Amino acid sequence: MMGLLNILKKLRSSPDKELRLLLLGLDNAGKTTLLKQLASEDVNHVTPTAGFNIKSVLSNGFKLNVWDIGGQRKIRPYWRNYFENTDILIYVVDCSDHQRLEETGQELAELLEDEKLRGVALLVYANKQDLATALPASEIAQHLGLHLIRDRTWQIQACVATDGTGVKEGMEWVCKNIPTKK
Amino acid sequence: MQCINKLKMIVFNLWSALQWYLRPFIKWFLRKTTQLCELQRICYGDKAGSERTRNVEKSLMLSRTRDVREIVSHLDNLVSERRFSPPIFREILDPSIAIILRIKKINPKLHPSFVGSFRRCLEQIWCYRSLLERVEELRRTQFDSNNDEHEEKLLLLWSLLVPDVELEARVTKQWQHIGFQGDDPKTDFRGMGLLGLENLIFFATEYPQVSSHVLSHSLHPKYGYTFAVVGINITSMAYYLLKDGSAKTYMFNAKQYLPNISLFHRFYCYLFYEFDKMWIESKPQNIMEFSVIYKKFENAVRTELADPASVFRINVEVDNI
Repeated sequence: MMGLLNILKKLRSSPDKELRLLLLGLDNAGKTTLLKQLASEDVNHVTPTAGFNIKSVLSNGFKLNVWDIGGQRKIRPYWRNYFENTDILIYVVDCSDHQRLEETGQELAELLEDEKLRGVALLVYANKQDLATALPASEIAQHLGLHLIRDRTWQIQACVATDGTGVKEGMEWVCKNIPTKK
Repeated sequence: MQCINKLKMIVFNLWSALQWYLRPFIKWFLRKTTQLCELQRICYGDKAGSERTRNVEKSLMLSRTRDVREIVSHLDNLVSERRFSPPIFREILDPSIAIILRIKKINPKLHPSFVGSFRRCLEQIWCYRSLLERVEELRRTQFDSNNDEHEEKLLLLWSLLVPDVELEARVTKQWQHIGFQGDDPKTDFRGMGLLGLENLIFFATEYPQVSSHVLSHSLHPKYGYTFAVVGINITSMAYYLLKDGSAKTYMFNAKQYLPNISLFHRFYCYLFYEFDKMWIESKPQNIMEFSVIYKKFENAVRTELADPASVFRINVEVDNI
């Protein structure tokens, strides 16, 4: 009897840890494509996100609940509603969108100042590296002022969300930098 | 839960295998008792429209007769070569129908109504397949701001939706009035490509009052949403419903039309109009409820499409007359 119960328990038991990942960034940065890439779904049929998408992904024994919130200016005021209990903040930047580098920097700076996201580890995906006009990750890091961050661990990862290049490396960093609260 | 699902799968697989082996016997038995072949039984017994055409399609696809298989692949080839077009339907279909009559030993003089209704089914089935190709092609065409034709279409959309206001520039905040995300719509079409734009243009052209009514809802101070962005998400819904075959109910029950790109656009207009209605009725707190209401709407549409008798009498059409 006990044996059966144990087996049932094992079958039902979720992975050791459940994490909440928050994907933010300007519209057209590639958040939804990244989300689909993480969930190994088709990335060719993406539409602009009205509202948000959420997916649960199993990775390295973790259950990652990834929240992808629309990046349009009109939606950004709602970002705050999703801050609570965030374990890792993932910020996606379209490196070929030179015109809005400043805008994306400002949005990130505001996020980092928010009380609810205090100390939350930050992963920046420098996306669209396949485009000829894309700035390298190091330059993006400079534009965003990442080296000035003192109150949290952070990482910048060059990637191409559409074909998955660099995405795995970023997620490995995430799994290594899981907060130890649980 | 997993065990139950596995069991279900096993039972299902056994059942499919059994059907595969039993089908010829059942068909033989019915043929002997009714003196009619399966295609005749479908054309005489099933209601014209989605029910009949779907069953004819199923029968043809399951057939193990070489000639039937050749007809199917011949018609499929015409579709992929884009040669399956209305003006030459007779020329294309007559030989195929003649082969079927011969191998099924059907005397057309004794069964004149069979030929007519079977022909209609063939037209619907392969028009649907042609439509799939056409839609896929439009979807795969990325919006390109260096392409004058694309640019003209985009500007046309503005003038159709907001006829009284001129665009101040090509890149301007004004685009947000019709629900694009930023100053330049070019990045908003994403994976739906030109299909999303064509859908919106058709909506604004064919149903000017309805689309402006829906646009005005989208500008509601409390229940507003982003018109174009939501429209592109509706394109995605229409596309998937077409691709997985759910839209056959709609397409095959449309009596006056064969499946073609306009009918797809009409399907889109129907979906957009109905979505808007559900959205307003749901009294959402804000746009963040979009994914929930979108899913709820999709489920409602799928339920309706699952009933072969569903006829989508578009209220939109009534409004417009």
